[in-house]
Amino acid sequence: MSTAMNFSTKTFKPRPPDKGAFPLDHFGECSAFKERFMKCLRESGYESSACRPLSKAYLECRMDRQVLPQLMANEPLEKLGFKDLIDEKPEAKSDK
Amino acid sequence: VVPGETALAFYKAKNPTDKPIIGISTYNVIPFEAGQYFNKIQCFCFEEQRLNPQEEVDMPVFFYIDPEFAEDPKMAKIDLITLSYTFFEAKEGQKLPLPGYQ
Repeated sequence: MSTAMNFSTKTFKPRPPDKGAFPLDHFGECSAFKERFMKCLRESGYESSACRPLSKAYLECRMDRQVLPQLMANEPLEKLGFKDLIDEKPEAKSDK
Repeated sequence: VVPGETALAFYKAKNPTDKPIIGISTYNVIPFEAGQYFNKIQCFCFEEQRLNPQEEVDMPVFFYIDPEFAEDPKMAKIDLITLSYTFFEAKEGQKLPLPGYQ
């Protein structure tokens, strides 16, 4: 994949995540949400956009259990890129 | 995945041994040039994670591709970006060179 630019190629520098680490769901409390999301992905041909409401539901599940660090807990979902889904809510109230 | 749109991905890790393992992971993005556009909002990486014997756990990554990706002519031919994680066993007293992470 590298072209003649080899000599000026920088080494890959991993960057830490913006909002820190995601604590693991050791007890699988949100597994049902994850399964629904994965099922949606498979059925939509892995179109991430199609399954955004479900990914939002998964994050809400984690936040509800307050396992996400304070940073995430106080972060309104719109800041996490779900603003359009929240605006839609008054018209189509999705089941949680 | 649409550049600029947040997306969720899941990995799964299993500890097949009968001892708890503490692991730490790092990631890689292929192709290399796309890595600069890859932004993680939250993931399980860089922090030690403990897996109990036989424990299998889902590991989510919440990320987005910088919308400028779509503007970069060098990225025009890239339609597949692969994100991979490597899990290492954390050794006592060993600190990974974490870039500016406390």
